[in-house]
Amino acid sequence: MTEQKPGFIVSSFALLVVFFLQLPVIVVVLASFSETSYLTIPPQGWTLDWFREVLTDSTYLNAIKISLILAVSATCLSLVLGVAASYAIARRMVPGSEALASFLMAPLAIPAVVIGVAMLQYFSLVGLRGGFVTLIIAHVVITVPYIVRSALASLSGMDVAMEEAARVLGADSFTAFRLVTLPLIKPGLVAGALFSFVVSMENVPVTIFLAGARQTTLPILIFTSVEMGVTPGVAAVSTLLIVATLVVLLLAERWTGFHRFV
Amino acid sequence: MVNLRSGLLLLAPLALVLVASFAIPLIMLVPTSFREYSPGHGIITDGWTIRNYLNILTDDYYREVVVRTAWLGISVTGLCLLLGYPVAYLIVRGNPRWRLPLVMLVIFPLMLNLVVRSFGWIVLLSNRGLINNLLIDIGLIERPLKLIFNLTGMLIGLTHIYLPFMVLMLVASLQNVPRDVEAAAATLGSSRFHIFRAITLPLTAPGIISGSILVFVLTISALVTPRMLGGPVYQVMATLIYDEYMQLLDWPSGAALSFSLAFATVLIIWLSSRMTKRWAGLA
Repeated sequence: MTEQKPGFIVSSFALLVVFFLQLPVIVVVLASFSETSYLTIPPQGWTLDWFREVLTDSTYLNAIKISLILAVSATCLSLVLGVAASYAIARRMVPGSEALASFLMAPLAIPAVVIGVAMLQYFSLVGLRGGFVTLIIAHVVITVPYIVRSALASLSGMDVAMEEAARVLGADSFTAFRLVTLPLIKPGLVAGALFSFVVSMENVPVTIFLAGARQTTLPILIFTSVEMGVTPGVAAVSTLLIVATLVVLLLAERWTGFHRFV
Repeated sequence: MVNLRSGLLLLAPLALVLVASFAIPLIMLVPTSFREYSPGHGIITDGWTIRNYLNILTDDYYREVVVRTAWLGISVTGLCLLLGYPVAYLIVRGNPRWRLPLVMLVIFPLMLNLVVRSFGWIVLLSNRGLINNLLIDIGLIERPLKLIFNLTGMLIGLTHIYLPFMVLMLVASLQNVPRDVEAAAATLGSSRFHIFRAITLPLTAPGIISGSILVFVLTISALVTPRMLGGPVYQVMATLIYDEYMQLLDWPSGAALSFSLAFATVLIIWLSSRMTKRWAGLA
């Protein structure tokens, strides 16, 4: 039996490409511990000063706080609204389910910067620009497609008979959903929620048009401060984000087998 | 009927949010794009014009930016395919024990904050960045190479950002290639390269096409990486829209550019979904 396996050259090339994918990450981490503001090989000396600077700087701390509050609120709201709507579509409770599903996913097809300028003009006109609730709603629009996508996939993948069995045995529809459906679609929802959180945490193109002066999120802060030049503070806060991402990704993989949902 | 009523109740909250803060804002951009803008006076609200759209086609600067955006989309897509296929192949056909670690190493950059990834390339590519320092130290060059705020930086950065999408699409489609067909060809005396060209590659064509469309659409829509690695001078459509709104305050031109860009992405996505449906019907 001759199996088609990648040869030595293909494997080495592929591993090089995988290394290329990690390269900026490695460099940012090294730069955050380096004494000079520009990274050299070998580094000129090691320091934790940049971390101390970031963790005592109220600008950074505020930005981290606002980003977290925004991402958590938008994801929770997207979860509730998205799962409810997906349930109605997946169980064919409303006509035109295919068209409705495409409408809920539409924010994915429009470039984010276009959504950003459209919202800028609209919310300025109705006088809601600069409000934190406006920002949360905007983030629901850009995150909800990820929830809808995973909810629709999980709902159509599960056996409807289980839900019907619960109903026959006397559970009302909400109880059947809570005790039977929800646990079955939970892994998919966790993955969708994680995507939603990540998308909200890294969004610049929509946030930058809507955020008021006191609502600078972390990505906006990094994005605008890089225009002024490279500072080690940015490297330090980036390293914190890298570590957080790594921990969350490994936990999600352990709990739900995250890679199956990507 | 009870079913329909509760269905509408479940759907209504999200539908309302999307209509009120996604659909209506986009529709309200339409009249803006047909207004005239005069520097110093702002948007002139009497009369309509199609000049903003004509400009995109006739003005040399706009045309340069549009062509550059499309060209970047094509190059980044090609690079992602070239770099991504071997990785996907190694993941699906390589040692199963490497599989999960490799998949995680592909997903990790995808989940990492986009701003952080772009910042990493600035640390690497800028004039006093790691690559230039290294090349100067070992004496290969005397002056720093210009790797950033130009095409080179943009190509490297965007390829890095969108490569994971391509790899994951290709992995999904490689998994569907039946190995017996390849084994049969091998038994009948085909060389490995011939098997790849005649069997594996054609059978993964749907994955190649959907991965390419995804990467192309994402590349032409990208704002953050092009601005961080292209700077304020080397513009693409998304960064130009950003400047029209934030710096030049020429909203009508920005709106016309926005519609042109959105029209391109929606058209490409729509055509590709029609194409895949037709193929599914043939199979």
